[in-house]
Amino acid sequence: MNSADTKKWYYMLPIISIAILLGGWMLVAQGEGSMIPTPYATLMRFLDICVHPISKAVLPVHMWMSLKRVLIAFVFAIVLGIGLGVGLGWSTSFHAFADPVFEILRPIPPIAWIPLVILWCGIGELPKVVIVFIGSFVPIVLNTYSGIKEIDSLLINAGLVLGANRRQLLTEITLPATTPAILAGIRTALSSGWMCVVAAEMIAAKQGVGFLIVRGQESGDTALIVACMLVIGVVSLLLSTILSKLEGVLCPWQFSKTK
Amino acid sequence: MSEDVKVKVRGLTKKFGDLLVLDNISFDVKKGDFVCIVGPTGCGKTTFLNLLVKLLEPTEGQILIDNEPADPKKHNMAFVFQEPSAYQWLTVEENIQYGLKIKKYPKDVIEERTKEIMETLGLEAVRKSYPHELSASLEQRVVIGRAFALHPDLLLMDEPYAQMDIKVRYYLEDQVIKLWQKTGSTVLFITHNIEEAVYLSEKCLILSNKPTTIKEEKKIELPRPRNIASSEFIELREYVTSQIKWW
Ligand SMILES: Nc1ncnc2c1ncn2[C@@H]1O[C@H](COP(=O)(O)OP(=O)(O)OP(=O)(O)O)[C@@H](O)[C@H]1O
Ligand SMILES: [Mg+2]
Repeated sequence: MNSADTKKWYYMLPIISIAILLGGWMLVAQGEGSMIPTPYATLMRFLDICVHPISKAVLPVHMWMSLKRVLIAFVFAIVLGIGLGVGLGWSTSFHAFADPVFEILRPIPPIAWIPLVILWCGIGELPKVVIVFIGSFVPIVLNTYSGIKEIDSLLINAGLVLGANRRQLLTEITLPATTPAILAGIRTALSSGWMCVVAAEMIAAKQGVGFLIVRGQESGDTALIVACMLVIGVVSLLLSTILSKLEGVLCPWQFSKTK
Repeated sequence: MSEDVKVKVRGLTKKFGDLLVLDNISFDVKKGDFVCIVGPTGCGKTTFLNLLVKLLEPTEGQILIDNEPADPKKHNMAFVFQEPSAYQWLTVEENIQYGLKIKKYPKDVIEERTKEIMETLGLEAVRKSYPHELSASLEQRVVIGRAFALHPDLLLMDEPYAQMDIKVRYYLEDQVIKLWQKTGSTVLFITHNIEEAVYLSEKCLILSNKPTTIKEEKKIELPRPRNIASSEFIELREYVTSQIKWW
């Protein structure tokens, strides 16, 4: 194959894989009383809930509710997570102080917090935001911390010999060197945050995509469930694309211009 | 103590656990001298430079720069490490300026030095590139540029040219001599290459195997520019080589 053909081939492959997915889906959705909605039924349901409200809101509003919870929690998780991660990685005494507590709390799955958080914060917006925060905070802390721990000591030494002070070593050497690791943590945090928001909404919410999925389950409306799942998938994809762009802006050195 | 001693080493001993690496070493480096340190692999050359800039603490003994303990914030020194140490997130140009910025040089000096380094080290074409886009040898040149830009009083280089091809190496050897002559700095230069050591240095510090002592301080009194094909040169080169072998 010449290179133009190869290129065409690479454009074809994703189309083929999606076609196979759709084909398989149609196949299993065949037949009377199938518990799986057909792609067509799902599409129709999707269009329907875009205009006809469920629980006083159309689909875009539910989506926005979920997204808003994720984004608010995310801002706090990024600021506090990077802060704690830098503290753990940079200061030996802070590490000795805070690490044991963090190590005990860290392995607890964020979803396990849901009952307690609902008891504490009621059923308003706060508990969902808190749960997403817990879910996205941990990966950001861990990646920031290990990024700082694993920094090549040569880079620090080179800075020391040039006469850099401790603040410069942190802000001009350690943090830039750790940015890719922090961004990887944010990426993990994003998927974890989505998981948490859907889970929290499934348990206690009047709006949001997680709520819609449970509503679908209660009324046996499988098309609604699948439509919501696909919307979650597409929105996550969009967010992760935005994140990739952000990586390109924050770490231009990772992406060569010449190669 | 006389005024013109740049580096004073007294009774320097370094152990890593039970491993005795440097064994009670004493010597002086004169201000403005060009000293090459040669010795067997693993004898502690890198360890010595790290001790000198306080990246390591000696087990015993002391090292003084200008009669006081080394302090990178005070002494104008530069270190080219054995492994590549360019900052990946800075462009070639920013890497070269980084030391000058830390030392808060005025803008016009930074501009002028950058220009000078770009020219002498042939980095103009890649000034906006990031280090990972460069070959290993070009990346090392960036680190050398970062050190040269400081016009350091004390320039420490740990096998800086080891990975360069012969043409580039000859060129850079002449560049370090030029910088040394122009700025009157004191240079400590570690190398495995005896020809390089004899070509560059005023004095060769020949180290023994571990536990390491100074085997000999050999003055190299050849006129410059030196001719590596001359019989005096070859004789010296073979002498130093034999001193390393027969320890
Ligand atoms: N941080 C360390 N901990 C333990 N041992 C070390 C450490 N650094 C160096 N050594 C040991 O000290 C000895 C001297 O190491 P050093 O790197 O100074 O040698 P070198 O002369 O620079 O060698 P090379 O020619 O390979 O660069 C080696 O045996 C090495 O294994
Ligand atoms: Mg070494």
